[in-house]
Amino acid sequence: MKSIFVAIIAISAPLGAQWLNYPTPGVPKAANGKPNLSAPAPKTADGKPDFSGMWQAFRGVMNTNRPCPTGECDELRDTDHWLNYGAGMPGGLPYQPWAAAKLKQREADLGKDDPTSYCLPLGTPRDLVAPGFKKIVHTPGLMVLMNERNASFRQIFIDGRPLPEDPQPSWSGYSTAKWEGDTLVVQTNGLRDDMWLDRSGSPLTDAAKVTERFRRPNYGHLEIEVSIDDPKAYTKPWTATKITENIRLNTEMLDDNCVEGERDMKHMVGK
Amino acid sequence: MNRRFRAIAIAAALTASLSAAQWLKYPTSGVPKTPSGLPNLGAPAPRTSDGKVDFSGMWEADNRPCPPGGCNDMPLSAQFLDIGAGLPGELPYQPWAAEVVKQRTAIAGQGDHESHCLPSGVPRMLWHPTFRRIVQFPDLLLFLNERNLSYRQVFTDGRPLPADPQPSWNGYSTGRWEGDTLVVETNGLRDGLWLDRKGDPLTGAAKVTERFRRPNYGNLEVDVTIDDPNAYTKPWTATVQQFIVLNTELLAYFCNENERDVAHFVGK
Repeated sequence: MKSIFVAIIAISAPLGAQWLNYPTPGVPKAANGKPNLSAPAPKTADGKPDFSGMWQAFRGVMNTNRPCPTGECDELRDTDHWLNYGAGMPGGLPYQPWAAAKLKQREADLGKDDPTSYCLPLGTPRDLVAPGFKKIVHTPGLMVLMNERNASFRQIFIDGRPLPEDPQPSWSGYSTAKWEGDTLVVQTNGLRDDMWLDRSGSPLTDAAKVTERFRRPNYGHLEIEVSIDDPKAYTKPWTATKITENIRLNTEMLDDNCVEGERDMKHMVGK
Repeated sequence: MNRRFRAIAIAAALTASLSAAQWLKYPTSGVPKTPSGLPNLGAPAPRTSDGKVDFSGMWEADNRPCPPGGCNDMPLSAQFLDIGAGLPGELPYQPWAAEVVKQRTAIAGQGDHESHCLPSGVPRMLWHPTFRRIVQFPDLLLFLNERNLSYRQVFTDGRPLPADPQPSWNGYSTGRWEGDTLVVETNGLRDGLWLDRKGDPLTGAAKVTERFRRPNYGNLEVDVTIDDPNAYTKPWTATVQQFIVLNTELLAYFCNENERDVAHFVGK
């Protein structure tokens, strides 16, 4: 917030628009009037944990815990999982030999072929760890995960429908979910064959089954455990270190349309 | 749905070895039925638990029947081509706007932002030929578009429009109820939006009002009023229809995936 304020002062003549600061309703408050982030998670009318809110992935402690300069960061920080979904896993991800070779090649050419660099979709489950804001809304039958990037969304069906047997491969795949106590267990199939899970280029193939376990331990945090079962790319199923998302209050989603004014692609030539 | 299903079925038969994926056909729940078991599209509109008309559902802007043998593409509504279609006379263009529309027609609309995979923007997304889903919450009306899997939010929690919003493709939208009509107002749109393929302009001065009604189960009607003194000499209103889509799901359409067209947009 502070950095935005500074930015607005610095360029107030060309761009004087108002920051979106409409207060989030229903925020539990501590005795001193500040948001009480460790208050219990809200519940929906049917007694399930309510994941609704604006969220941002915690940027992590592995590679990117660079402190902000005085007065806050001037850009959104990459999260650990954004850089490599195996962040914090002893030995890293269990790549198949071809996948390990691919990773090396992608590192050598500076990840120039990352689909997200070409304004293509994040895909599942990379949409959980992109550095921008997310918003979750849900009805009893449907959870929608919105992402500031390209003002995009993913649907997660909670109405008891089965996963399709032979889905059309796509970036988001097809996601259904069921409750296990206070955990929403989301399963996804139907992903396309050439996805990048992270900036390192860890592959995800059309053989992948992705399981995401969503919990909201308190008002201020969402925890997601992502498991990947993709025998084409990995020697065994694996579970990423826990992804934590922080609540974001008193603002709104701003759209980031990657294609707009795009000038980078022609410079992505590797080394 | 039938139309698209037929078209897909034909395409699948032609390319069965390449792409044999299953069509998404999970049945829509809660569809009112006629005695013969068909969807009763003229049944009353559903209501939410707080008694409001419920706009939730999947919708399309045109549902003309296919020729025998199926459609090979989504039909373009007359309003997608020209939002003034059906209105008496021309839109009340300011002189510069009339000139711009003439130029855009002359160069075959090569500068249309939709053709360059940029967002449709508000309110044009309503008449884009791909499907959209509306999800209605007590405090939010959410639009989920197949095109670029992109969303639009309309806040119905009583908040005011921002006084000085950041200009954007979707602007900032709030809605309030007038009886069974949801009145949605939008400001904060960017300069340079096209309302249709013809190139009718919309500028950063625009206030857009959409009045949503659901007269029955199968139909939505939206009166779209454009008040944009930069581009038009007076406010004007077009009425846009939306038709329910049943027993399928949104499919993703990413405009810039394998994009090969932009290089050929050279006008006439």
